[in-house]
Amino acid sequence: MNEGIGAVRTGATDTSTTGNAPAPRGPEETVEPLVEPSSDDFRSARQLPVEEGWYKRAVFYEVLVRAFADSNRDGFGDLRGLTDKLDYLAWLGVDCLWLPPFYDSPLRDGGYDIRDYRKVLGEFGTVEDFVEFLDQAHARGIRVITDLVMNHTSDSHHWFQESRRDPEGPYGDFYVWSDDDTRWSEARVIFVDTESSNWTYDTVRGQFYWHRFFSHQPDLNFDNPAVCEAMIDALRFWLDLGIDGFRLDAVPYLFERDGTNGENLPETHAFLRRVRKVVEDEYPGRVLLAEANQWPADVVEYFGDAEVGGDECHMAFHFPLMPRIFMAVRRESRFPISEILAQTPEIPENAQWGIFLRNHDELTLEMVTDDERDYMYAEYAKDPRMKANIGIRRRLAPLLDNDRNQLELFTALLLSLPGSPVIYYGDEIGMGDNIWLGDRDGVRSPMQWTPDRNAGFSTCDPGRLNLPVVMDPVYGYQAVNVEAQSNSTASLLHWNRRMIEIRKQHPAFGLGDFHELGGSNSSVLAYVREFVDEEGTRDVVLCVNNMSRFPQPVELDLIAWKDWTPTELTGGVPFPAIGELPYLLTLPGHGFYWFSIHPAQERG
Amino acid sequence: MTGPQGTPTGTAPALEALLPGMVDWLPTQRWFAAKGRDVAGVRLVGHQDVTAPDAEPAVAHAVIAVEFADGGPEDWFQLLLGSRTRVSGDLEYAVIGTSGDRTVYDGLADGEISRLLLSMIVSDTSVGSLRFVPEPGTEPPIVGPGRPLLGEQSNSSVIYGERAILKLFRRATAGLNPDLELHRALGSQHSREVAPLLGAIEGELSDGAGGTVPMTVAMLQDYASNSADGWSMALTSVRDLLAEGDLRPDEVGGDFAGEATRLGRTVAAVHTELARALGTALLDADGVAAVADWMLARLDHAAEAVPEVAERRAAIAEVLRGVTSADGLLVHRIHGDLHLGQELRTPRGWLVIDFEGEPSRPLTDRVRPDSPLRDVAAMLRSFDYAAFHQLAEWETGSEAPGYLQRRAQEWADRNRSAFCDGYTEIAGHDPRADLAVLRAYELDKAVYEVLYETRNRPNWLPIPLRSMERLLRSV
Repeated sequence: MNEGIGAVRTGATDTSTTGNAPAPRGPEETVEPLVEPSSDDFRSARQLPVEEGWYKRAVFYEVLVRAFADSNRDGFGDLRGLTDKLDYLAWLGVDCLWLPPFYDSPLRDGGYDIRDYRKVLGEFGTVEDFVEFLDQAHARGIRVITDLVMNHTSDSHHWFQESRRDPEGPYGDFYVWSDDDTRWSEARVIFVDTESSNWTYDTVRGQFYWHRFFSHQPDLNFDNPAVCEAMIDALRFWLDLGIDGFRLDAVPYLFERDGTNGENLPETHAFLRRVRKVVEDEYPGRVLLAEANQWPADVVEYFGDAEVGGDECHMAFHFPLMPRIFMAVRRESRFPISEILAQTPEIPENAQWGIFLRNHDELTLEMVTDDERDYMYAEYAKDPRMKANIGIRRRLAPLLDNDRNQLELFTALLLSLPGSPVIYYGDEIGMGDNIWLGDRDGVRSPMQWTPDRNAGFSTCDPGRLNLPVVMDPVYGYQAVNVEAQSNSTASLLHWNRRMIEIRKQHPAFGLGDFHELGGSNSSVLAYVREFVDEEGTRDVVLCVNNMSRFPQPVELDLIAWKDWTPTELTGGVPFPAIGELPYLLTLPGHGFYWFSIHPAQERG
Repeated sequence: MTGPQGTPTGTAPALEALLPGMVDWLPTQRWFAAKGRDVAGVRLVGHQDVTAPDAEPAVAHAVIAVEFADGGPEDWFQLLLGSRTRVSGDLEYAVIGTSGDRTVYDGLADGEISRLLLSMIVSDTSVGSLRFVPEPGTEPPIVGPGRPLLGEQSNSSVIYGERAILKLFRRATAGLNPDLELHRALGSQHSREVAPLLGAIEGELSDGAGGTVPMTVAMLQDYASNSADGWSMALTSVRDLLAEGDLRPDEVGGDFAGEATRLGRTVAAVHTELARALGTALLDADGVAAVADWMLARLDHAAEAVPEVAERRAAIAEVLRGVTSADGLLVHRIHGDLHLGQELRTPRGWLVIDFEGEPSRPLTDRVRPDSPLRDVAAMLRSFDYAAFHQLAEWETGSEAPGYLQRRAQEWADRNRSAFCDGYTEIAGHDPRADLAVLRAYELDKAVYEVLYETRNRPNWLPIPLRSMERLLRSV
């Protein structure tokens, strides 16, 4: 099995040394690495057939284990609860679940502070529960990826505890230590609200340690080959169990170099190429998704060498697109979206963007370049409503005042713009948020399954719930829940399911080229997605979106498809054939159309 | 610029046969600028075959003089004519008439002809008096055929594969067309605020004294695909505001101030580049007095026709004389006919188009250096128009409610101010600093608009009238 330094010998246990000064080691003490579990200790989930490029056509669904379903009445969602809900997710049509970290963690940063890479957080269940969940997901054709934080660990991780206690031991060089806190001053402090420096003094070891994020999250030292090996072995552990890939958190910051800001360094890319090679060689068909809060032109670097179709991450999030969608609809102008897509470079053949409307995180403007930030601030600063909305954590429905037309327009954009869409749990039924909960918990309230107690999320005593269910008159679980919407074919849930189904019938959405059509009406965003398969079959989809709340006409130059016929995709209604003149369409306020366009003789 | 362009040759006799039919055809063409005047006759004053007359299709360039029943001055226009022995249904809408066994039509409608014109530019060809020239240092795309652009007004264009646009100037005017001239000048400055020039078709007109003067037939530019014009975007913003009613322009989603600021930056950059490329001058007291005299003459002309102007003539004249308040007036070549419709929003920012100047003014006026404040004032006027346009279309016989009028005024104030802020950022000086001069230019423009609307669009007349009152009040 793939055993790294961590699983060589038994010996030392996790001793709490917090607050103790480094004790001189007696000659009788042996230096022994910690025991870490091996994937051999567990059964593996059944595998889905290897399908190249599946992630380019997939619809992703981000689900918080803690908030989805509680199987053991402790008030926390868990893996068994999630397993019970897989039929629902299969019915909805999602292809891949993205689980934020479910590892053992002191939860000082929502689980992104990992205490043990090979253990499941107790309240979520066990590694065995995870394997069962994965097996059941695969049985339904659903893949699963999860977050993995490579850059840092929790300060309660054994590695760190050993590193601070024993500078000469096997973990002494696992973190980035220094006698002073002056090095790499060019690196910005990311969490400026809570941290004043990237260095924090450790009284145990008597040195400063480096951290790009919270001071309780020390950065691992990737210049130490043992760290690289240990991290790759942590990946192998889950890949052996059958997981379909990872969202790699905070990838730009793995290395530190003098005279740089410590972001996007060549050494970081070299390490990612190495990880990719492990995946390609040992686990074909699995996927790596980079979380790099950077401008698209910089993020593209994380796809790797375009000559070979990409040799680092398969996917990366396109961060600036989301606020631009909100801005375009607010301004009733396509240009915020047109601009960002025009500035998005080509990506390697085997690469794909991940796009989203909302996720579990807030959106900050810190990720973008100065120019873009100036532009966004210039637009938003004048508009108190946008300014407030962009930084805070709201769900999609409250952001759009629960306006069904806008919810549909935004979702149509999400499902048709270039990239694989990521739906945030609960947004498919238009769930609300709880702005009275602190930090990011407002958008992490329990999934609303039924109008019954605890929204059907848990049968525990309501007071025991980890987070309260939403109970306001508009978004409360008695008004908004899966059961009620399942029973109404006019519901948002059914509408979302139908749109996902249509998307999956047309490879152009996931694989096709993107060509914006323009048009003299600046409120209308129109584009063509076109994919030609190996047999030369063309799949051409025309998407027309009205960013304005008022009805709009638009004349489109479709001369390239002269004599072809557009067929509207939700109803199959044929529209007039495309002629010599610009193609005239009228759209209701916030309306959109999806058409398949095909040669007239192909109409059956 | 009188007298025929040499002796008609080649297909000219065939064209002569078409002229009587043009009396009816011309008034149906969008570019025909003399609508409302009865056409008395059409003469052929210049002609050049582009292909052999029996080619299929054959192409010829012609200049015609249109005489009017009112006995007023004649207008000269350019035509690019195509002819075929058999014309397909696609071209029927463009047919002018038949001559012998050939059907003659507007050549730009024919994809084969537009493709030929482009390839002649790319290969740097001359035919008789016509020169097809690529712009040095550029590579025009070799794509085709062209597609006629619909809905255009004073000129006619074809678009090549969303890559390039060829614009045929319909008015035949002696001299280098300022649109071509200024695009060349801006190209020399690597301007990012205009669509790069790719080439031109240049010809000659007789000077009436046995010689010839150059004439611009057409120009080829980068095509700004995926663009929308500033006028329609501004109206979208105003529509959003007026639908809200109780919110102010800075509170509604459709706020345009960000775009107005960027527009100000764009116009200032164009001015800087024009000044750098073609030089500046400082008008002395006599020069400035001449500018004032010109404005006053235009005022008198308007006062004769419009009572509202006549009543306020003295007060208006006082403001116009404000142009002389500066010690000297910095002048250089300017756009000359700037408004929101002459600005295109693209995904890469704003572009300024159509540097022909006010089409109704003689070329000598249009190429005269002028204060950049004339362009700034014209933009300020355009924001006023955008703000009140929807209210001017209010149902006839009633006036829009006062609170909407106030909202519209707030929109105009906010965006005029944002435009000036953006202009100041790039120009390095605030156009509002020369308030008396700026106001004189703005009032001059408003007076011209009052005259124009009185004659052409009476229900829009309240827009410039209201501005005129405001400009007089604010003195």
